[in-house]
Amino acid sequence: MSELEIPEITIPVGPQHPALHEPENFTFKVDGEYVVDVEARIGYNHRGIEKAAESRSYIQNLYLFERVCGICSHAHTTAFTLNIEELLDTPKPPRAQYISMIVAELERIHSHTLWAGVAGHEIGFHSFFMYLWRDREVVMDLLEAVSGNRVHYAVNTIGGVRRDITPEVEKKLRKGMDILEERLKTYRTLALEEPTLIKRCEGVGVLKPEDARRLCAVGPTLRASGIKHDVRANDPYLAYDEIDWEVVSYDLCDVLSRILVRIDEALQSVYIIRQALDKLPDGPYKVRVPRNVPEGESVMRVEAQRGELIHYVRSNGTDRPDRYKIRSPTLGNIPAVCHILKGGYIADIPIVLASIDPCFSCTDRMAFVDVNTGKKWVWTGEQLRRYARKWRG
Amino acid sequence: MGLRNRLIKWARIKSPWIIHFDCSSCNGCDIEIVAALTPRYDVERFGILLRGSPRHADILVVSGSVSHQVAPRLRRIYEQMPEPKFVMAVGACACGAGVFRDCYNVLEGVDKVIPVDVYVPGCPPKPEAIIQGVVELIEKLKAA
Amino acid sequence: MGFREEYEQIVEGLKQAIGAENVVDYKIPRERRIFVTVKKEAVVQAVKYLAEEQDFWHCSTITGLEAKDCFEVIYHLARDHAISLSLRVCLDKEKPEVPTITDIIPGATLYEREVHDLVGIKFIGHPNLKRLILPDNWPDHIHPLRKEWTIERIREELRKAEVIP
Repeated sequence: MSELEIPEITIPVGPQHPALHEPENFTFKVDGEYVVDVEARIGYNHRGIEKAAESRSYIQNLYLFERVCGICSHAHTTAFTLNIEELLDTPKPPRAQYISMIVAELERIHSHTLWAGVAGHEIGFHSFFMYLWRDREVVMDLLEAVSGNRVHYAVNTIGGVRRDITPEVEKKLRKGMDILEERLKTYRTLALEEPTLIKRCEGVGVLKPEDARRLCAVGPTLRASGIKHDVRANDPYLAYDEIDWEVVSYDLCDVLSRILVRIDEALQSVYIIRQALDKLPDGPYKVRVPRNVPEGESVMRVEAQRGELIHYVRSNGTDRPDRYKIRSPTLGNIPAVCHILKGGYIADIPIVLASIDPCFSCTDRMAFVDVNTGKKWVWTGEQLRRYARKWRG
Repeated sequence: MGLRNRLIKWARIKSPWIIHFDCSSCNGCDIEIVAALTPRYDVERFGILLRGSPRHADILVVSGSVSHQVAPRLRRIYEQMPEPKFVMAVGACACGAGVFRDCYNVLEGVDKVIPVDVYVPGCPPKPEAIIQGVVELIEKLKAA
Repeated sequence: MGFREEYEQIVEGLKQAIGAENVVDYKIPRERRIFVTVKKEAVVQAVKYLAEEQDFWHCSTITGLEAKDCFEVIYHLARDHAISLSLRVCLDKEKPEVPTITDIIPGATLYEREVHDLVGIKFIGHPNLKRLILPDNWPDHIHPLRKEWTIERIREELRKAEVIP
């Protein structure tokens, strides 16, 4: 066999990843069933938000940044408003901080259940996907009750929040939390006991702690490698330092570990919301702020669902920013995921890519190119997934 | 109209398969489209099925404000679909760039690249609105 | 105040490592935030010292921006995801070049490519400084985040290059 020259094959993956987040393009070099090298090409989703921000006022930018991402929209506006409030030196009133925190945690539950469902879909565990998405509707209803919208909540504003939590909504929230706690605990047991999940995810996509550090991984990807870093605990914002909660981390370093981290984090979010409702302070939920922001610069970091989100602003004394920089967590995790994919199987590509939560979904498509003949064939995500299931037995 | 054609039309109306393509959308519309397919709204009971390949689909569901990088890919996916094909633009961005109207890297709307049959406005539209869009499209199919 | 003295010690250590003349200025606006400006010649040494001696191993991101008389590159480093240190370096407008830090912090690869794309700053020694964010057929001379490129001018230039009809 060794005399046989095996041609190296290049596989471009993407960019049609309709589903969520940033449509990316990965080029894989494969040797048989193994992935030898990976290169990422992003930017299919580049719209030029940072440039547009420079020509819009701060209030207009609030709506623009809400739409950077539909899944972590609240995290973006939190970082933005905290940044501007720091420059204006008028922090959110305590009640606003708690309300903003409650919405942030609701969003985290929604995102993590969404992700766990997608992960189930990627490994062919379709009922897991459907059950999780059914229970996710509980959170969506709560978000609608709190903010009036299912996806872009528009809760944050500069100087506070736009809506109060009324006693009726509080009652609904408490009831919802009871349902969610019970359901999340069920899924936790499932993840720990269900052979389908364990066999497919254990030992797949290992990211060692030293590699996670070296490649600057963030969020659940980092915590699933045993590094207990969470911006909410290490660099507290809003009222996270007044709440009693734990940073979740597992040290299995594989896909299973990432599933467990996310389910446990969603459970922690339930506890945070309950405590926040108990402690919800009285007082105003909004203060008036001037339109113009004094000259200065500020860095704000927020723990979005996918990890550390960092916003940097440079203001020039007018009502528009001079420069606004956003780095979303997925970009931070791409070097890490490229590293994980190297040396893995082709069949593991979908679940490993999904495990950093770039929000891959159903319609991604892959083109395979044989370097020697230049022949090209195209695989849809569905075919790849089927191939993955067949190959892994 | 022959029996064969009537049969095909009946089948098409009863079971329109869709493909979803994200053209630099913010994900808001995308998660609502997926939500429409999952148990709460469950459009699969009407025979609407999400496919992974454009070659299997009757309806192309597009979300997002179409960046310059993604526009040629959108056109190619549209060309890969078999005739007759229909396009549904979901969300304010797909209808006319929405909040991203003045950004340098976006074309303003899906209809700048491919013909659109149904527009579903909203930022993002609720799953009910997306289902309504599909119903409108089926009405259009019936009339055709 | 406790944290101020601690952070000043970090800056003091940096001064000793790269030479006091290379640290232009610094400020500590609040707890867990440090801003330091260093000279271009010493930036790699500064990152090396901070990453290896002071435990600032995490690079949150790299910001590139155009100020009035120079291009600025800001490295946002973090220790334990707690203290955020922004290391600023000013680059000549005629020749915006800076050595890469990817050999010290490999996680910064994509951030450098992003700044290269959008602001047009060259990172000398970067292993793979290819286009990352902008479209494939984007003209090479347009760096959209420079102030000279207004949205109207970019559109006009794109029409000339036939990226948009």
